[in-house]
Amino acid sequence: MKALKTLIEECRSGKADYQALIDRVPYARFLGIQVIAQGDELTFVLPKHDNVVGNPTLPALHGGAVAGFMEQAAIIFILLQMGEPKVPKTIDFTIDYLRAGLFRDTYAECSVTRLGRRIANVHISAWQKNRQEPITIARAHFLLSDDGATD
Amino acid sequence: MTEKTLPYTRLDICNRFLESVRHSVVLGLEVVSATEECVRVRMPWRDDLVGNPETGVMHGGAIFAMMDQAGGMAITCRTFPTFEITPTIDFRVDHLRSPGKGRAVVCEARCYRLTTHVAFVSVTTWEEEGDDEPIATGLATYTRLKIDKAGTVVGQ
Repeated sequence: MKALKTLIEECRSGKADYQALIDRVPYARFLGIQVIAQGDELTFVLPKHDNVVGNPTLPALHGGAVAGFMEQAAIIFILLQMGEPKVPKTIDFTIDYLRAGLFRDTYAECSVTRLGRRIANVHISAWQKNRQEPITIARAHFLLSDDGATD
Repeated sequence: MTEKTLPYTRLDICNRFLESVRHSVVLGLEVVSATEECVRVRMPWRDDLVGNPETGVMHGGAIFAMMDQAGGMAITCRTFPTFEITPTIDFRVDHLRSPGKGRAVVCEARCYRLTTHVAFVSVTTWEEEGDDEPIATGLATYTRLKIDKAGTVVGQ
């Protein structure tokens, strides 16, 4: 199997599909995460499926699954858009639940609020109907590796 | 009815709660203990929950989901024998250090303040049979939705 660093470089140079990187992360496969690339913009998708249901009578998505999806989206975002060669470590993750997560596909987008040499502050927003009505917003700090390029 | 004459315990309610939450079942969560003060929940290590394929460390998202579930059950134990639906308002997790590959994790959740509409919860997570240094801590708030006997939310 290719080294993760090689796969990241191939994704960034267009030689490999972004999905190949996501599929290398067992937890991302477990949640069934997909990525849509439009130019440089990345939208992450958590397709609705039984394994991410929390309350079965509503039915609603599990808040923990949505949080895990958003954290994973931010990690993939850092790897693909910032050329970080290693999986960054999550320092902290803070999420606000604004609306119920219904049993439907969920989307997420990320933006880097502040990029330091060692630490990245990332904002993540997740929505279902439209991105102006997020169901959850989150911010997280990630520890970057010492040999990370920040282009 | 007094607590001693109830046909079910806090542990029973927590187990029933957990079994109804599909994502928590899929994660393999188990309720270890449930008292008025705190709930302990265990999550075994599994290779499909790995977040870093190079180190085999479990994903922070899986740990978050366990802590969120445990927080909800800590409130259930405080409001016992009344069961309420408690959506999370916000949750912050600090990942203090990585759990080892292959190690199960255990968290302890406490509802340290209950107001009419809001529950305040703290959660600490350790490696099972590890040293006493936590791997993660969390602080959360949940809102309390009362339900009637039919399971419908009331007072909304």
